[in-house]
Amino acid sequence: MTELCLEINRADKAFPGVQALSKANFKLKKGSIHALLGENGAGKSTLIKIITGIHKQDHGDLLINNSARVLNTPNDATLYGISVVHQERNLIRRFSVGENLMLNNLPRNHFGLIDYKEIAIQSKKWLEIMDLNIDPATLVSDLTVAKMQLCEIAKALSLKSKILLLDEPTSSLSPQESENLFLLLKKIVRDEGVSIVFVSHKLEEVFSICDEVTVLRDGKNACTSEKIENLNRKKLVKLMIGRDEQIVRAKSQNSKNKNLVLKLNNVKSEIGHRDINLELHESEIVGLYGLVGAGRTELAKCLIGIEKIVSGDVEINGLKQTIHSPKTALEKFRIGYISEDRKKEGLILIHNVLDNSSITVWSKIKKAFGYVTDGMISMKVTPYIQQLEVKTPSNYQLISNLSGGNQQKISVVKWLAAGTDILIIDEPTVGIDIKTKAYLHKLIIELAETGTSIILISSDMPEMIGLADRILVMKDFKISGEVNNNHNYDKTSAAIMEYIHD
Amino acid sequence: MTKKLPNFMFTNQFGLFCIVIIFVIIFSSITDGFTSRFNIYALSRVVAIDIMIGLAMMVVILTGGLNLALGAIGVCAAMFGGWCMETMGIPVIPSIFLILGMGSFLGYINGVITVKTGVHSFIVTLATMSIYFGLMTMLTEAEAFRRLPASFTDFGSIKLFNKYVSPLLIISVTACLTLFYLFKFTDIGRKLIAAGANPDAAELSGISVNTMFIYCHMLSGFLGAVAAIMLTTRIGAAIPSMAGQLGMDWLLPAFLAPVIGGTLLSGGKLSVFGTMLGAILVTLITNGLYLIDVGEFWIRFFLGIILLIAVILDKTREHFTLKSVIVS
Repeated sequence: MTELCLEINRADKAFPGVQALSKANFKLKKGSIHALLGENGAGKSTLIKIITGIHKQDHGDLLINNSARVLNTPNDATLYGISVVHQERNLIRRFSVGENLMLNNLPRNHFGLIDYKEIAIQSKKWLEIMDLNIDPATLVSDLTVAKMQLCEIAKALSLKSKILLLDEPTSSLSPQESENLFLLLKKIVRDEGVSIVFVSHKLEEVFSICDEVTVLRDGKNACTSEKIENLNRKKLVKLMIGRDEQIVRAKSQNSKNKNLVLKLNNVKSEIGHRDINLELHESEIVGLYGLVGAGRTELAKCLIGIEKIVSGDVEINGLKQTIHSPKTALEKFRIGYISEDRKKEGLILIHNVLDNSSITVWSKIKKAFGYVTDGMISMKVTPYIQQLEVKTPSNYQLISNLSGGNQQKISVVKWLAAGTDILIIDEPTVGIDIKTKAYLHKLIIELAETGTSIILISSDMPEMIGLADRILVMKDFKISGEVNNNHNYDKTSAAIMEYIHD
Repeated sequence: MTKKLPNFMFTNQFGLFCIVIIFVIIFSSITDGFTSRFNIYALSRVVAIDIMIGLAMMVVILTGGLNLALGAIGVCAAMFGGWCMETMGIPVIPSIFLILGMGSFLGYINGVITVKTGVHSFIVTLATMSIYFGLMTMLTEAEAFRRLPASFTDFGSIKLFNKYVSPLLIISVTACLTLFYLFKFTDIGRKLIAAGANPDAAELSGISVNTMFIYCHMLSGFLGAVAAIMLTTRIGAAIPSMAGQLGMDWLLPAFLAPVIGGTLLSGGKLSVFGTMLGAILVTLITNGLYLIDVGEFWIRFFLGIILLIAVILDKTREHFTLKSVIVS
């Protein structure tokens, strides 16, 4: 049996309100390429962060070359030969390739100054391993994205790394560049004796280069070190998404003959959306599904006027409109946006429950000379706070003292109180306990039934299939397909996956 | 509807109030003349202006920013007023409106530049401080306006309440009450605070954050102009050096009052009455130290130390006071 170079046994990791990993196992064989798969939120990133010393597991062991280790900082991980090649580039763009490669161990000359000749000689060696025929004096900012990535791998190798973590390495590469990368990866595994953990949403890549697969689902292992030969695409998809959990489902309805409240015609945005066509009817829930970075949140921000739409039409209730700002969106068109990032964009953490839940209604309930009191506000929002069963000692409690679920309820309350016609709900249940999650699902369905039109952005497949009437799949700032949701999990999820992975 | 009033004993303002009382007791027992009618009257004239300057800074700190140009705006407004009344012969009341308009306008420029460029107001107002003051010096050729209408300058020497109190203090207290009302009981006040606390969240909740920030800078300029009018009536003339080089003499009291008073430096929480108490405390300490005769440099030394302590408290304050109070 081949030796293991990295082993994680029964690792648990909890964050406030969510169990990110429970008894997760991971075994990496020396000289292998191992795929780590799972949906968004399945615990992949947490596991990677444990391996790289950013987080520490609550329970469970981490073994490197068969001896138990404790990684307190990312630096510890580097010392034990673990390197990550991130989605975001870790190179300093204004430094040269050579400087970047040698940054942790810059060669000095007799006067203690940096020896640039030596940098060139040493870095050349690592660049050659990666088949990079570039001058070490080239500035990183002058390289293509693909070459930057290869430089990053070269840097990891120069740090004597024996375990490389590649997180979505091909997300910004062309097929040709990806192909080239895979050849090089196979080569360094063979020649340099490194082992690779490969994280990707593109299943065909997994089949083309990986030896073994570990799938995480809800923080648990759906499979551990399964040989790639024993799997096929269908089995793998099932391992990733198949779950028994019964979730709230909206009744199937036919919205097509209801009023069209929002229509996007070939919308193009300043930040890169192209050919966006979208129709939203009264009382309809339209889902936007896609991977992180597909442009869903950004599309929502175009709709509320934060990002600019450069061409195409936005029609609201049949009339062409321009939305300049969230203020116009709310006051003129009654469109609201519940942010995915409730701590940064949703709530004012240093303010109390009352102010947070009423921020959208102050202008509406003010009397002459802008007169507004806590009492008037309380009359307006307390019914909603009670309806949503927000657990808070009083309306004057600081929002940061509430649990994640209750905070999320408050960011919903403020839009309920505002009484919007169109509500864009972005990842409503991330990091939220199961009970509140089910409650919020019910609430979203009720809202739709009482006439609100909803655009639901979610990376949670069961949530999406449970709630949405229609699902638009987004990829690379475009809509890659539309799925009519009949709430049949297997069929719909397979249809969505087709649009994402092809 | 259950409304729990915060226990005032735990508020920052109550603590400040106690410190003020302690200093009053100390200074009145170790110095002669601290409680004399003359000294109290003099104190009331000084503290009135310090309160106004503190409020002017407070409304920009609310946005998480600073207004270094505050003193320069004050001097420019005062000199503009002197020109209106002395050179142009405009009557006092219209001149006062023009002065307030000038202060607001200079604040507006600060606000617009800050918002449009996205540069921190520290840099923007550092630049405009120099620009405003420089322009003013060029236009006036650094000549003071010393022949202001008597009805204007006399106001500064009126004595009220058995000759103990200057009417200037009444203006400052009225300003405090008005600002408290604005922030506590109006939608615009709440929006100003929300925008300062978390601009992203406020913007997404339908508040025009840029407009709010511009309002704050305008309000700062307006209050600075009020302080300038008060200072002009007190000294009886509009003088280019009335607030020191570039108006920088105002900066220390301007920061001390709100920061001691409990206005959060990162924005989003403010205390109008805390600023008032802070200004009172600073004036008391300065005045008391003068009477003890410790010398100008020691007073600056102590005020610097107090500012540092107040800033450190700003970081730790959260742990021992009621956090849920947003306006006080």
